[in-house]
Amino acid sequence: MVEQAAALLVEGVGAQTQEGARAELLSESEFQELYRLNARPLWAYLYRLTGNTADADDLLQEAYCRLLATRLATREDGELRAYLFRIATNAATDLWRRGGRGSRRTEPLTSESAITTDHGDGVALKRDMSRTFRDLKPQERMLLWLAHVEGSEHREIAEALGLKAASVPVLLFRARRKLAALLRKKGYGPGER
Amino acid sequence: MLHRACALQPDILSAVAAGREREALVAAHLAACPSCREQADAISWMGQLAEAPQPSHPLPDPGVIWWKAQLLRRWQAERVASAPIERMHWVELVAGFATLAVFLVWQWRGLSTLVARAIPAGLSALSTAAPPSNPLVLMLILCGTATVGAMVLAGLHRMLYRSHL
Repeated sequence: MVEQAAALLVEGVGAQTQEGARAELLSESEFQELYRLNARPLWAYLYRLTGNTADADDLLQEAYCRLLATRLATREDGELRAYLFRIATNAATDLWRRGGRGSRRTEPLTSESAITTDHGDGVALKRDMSRTFRDLKPQERMLLWLAHVEGSEHREIAEALGLKAASVPVLLFRARRKLAALLRKKGYGPGER
Repeated sequence: MLHRACALQPDILSAVAAGREREALVAAHLAACPSCREQADAISWMGQLAEAPQPSHPLPDPGVIWWKAQLLRRWQAERVASAPIERMHWVELVAGFATLAVFLVWQWRGLSTLVARAIPAGLSALSTAAPPSNPLVLMLILCGTATVGAMVLAGLHRMLYRSHL
C-alpha cells in the first residue's frame, strides 16, 4: 500500500513539472474547503461505483492524497471538482485492474434499507436501484454518473475515463440503452418510477 | 432492439436532463419515438438514483487525509533524494564483478598453478609446473574474492529487506 502510494506520488511529481512555475500545492485551508464542498458527492459517486463503503472510503482518501501531491495551476472550484472526479475515477479503475480487493463483497445495503423503510411503496424500488446500477459494467456506471449526475461534458468524461471524446456519446447511448433494458427486465416501466 | 439513435435525440435528451420532459413538443416526441423514450427513461432513472438515500456513513476525517498526504510527500522526497545512492550500490556491484573478471583473465596462469598445487592429483605434475605465483598476487585474489562476496551478500540482504517491506 505504501509502495503504491509512493508510486502514485511519483506520477504526481511528474505532473508537477508540466504545470509550470505558477502551479502550487493546495494549502491546508484550501484543502479543507475543497473537502467540505466535494467529499460527500465524491463519496456518493464512489459508493455507487464500488457498492461498498470501505472501498468508497479508501478511494476517497486516495483521490485527495493524489490531488494534494499535485501542483495545481488553478483554484477554480469547477475545474478542481472535475479534476478530483477524474483522479477518483482513475483510482477506481486502478482498483478494478489490481483485482485484489475487487473480491470485497458488495454490502447488503442494510443501512440504505433502514433509511428507506418508512417511505412506503417506494422501499423495494429504492433498495433495488443500487443493485440495478451495479448490474452495469464499471465503465458504464462511470459514464452514466458523470454525464447525468455530475453533468460533466463529454470532453471531461473522455479525460476521466481515458477515452476519445468522440467515443463518449456512442458509449453513453449504449449504456443508457442497456440501463433501459435492465429497467424493463426488472419491470420498472416509466409508470412505476 | 434499437440500432440507431433518433436525429433529434441530442435536443430531446438535453430537454429531459433539464427537467422539461413534460413540455408539449418533448412529450409528443417521447410518445412517438421509442429510442428517445428509452434513453430519456434511463436519464430520469439516473436522476432518481442520485437522489436516493445514501447510507448514513461518516466520511473519512480530512485531518487524517491531510496528514497522510504530507507523510507520503515526505517519503517521496526521501525516495528522490536517495535514488542516486541506490543506483550507486548497483554500480559498485557491477564494478566489483568487472574487476574480478579482469583480474582472473590477467592472472589466469598463476591461478592455474595455484589450483594444480592444491589438488593431490596435480602433485605429480608439480615438478614440471611453472614457479608459484607472487604472494602479493595471491593476497589480491583473496581480497578481491572477499570483497565481491561481501558485496553479493549485501545486495542479497538489501533485496530481502525490500521484499519484506
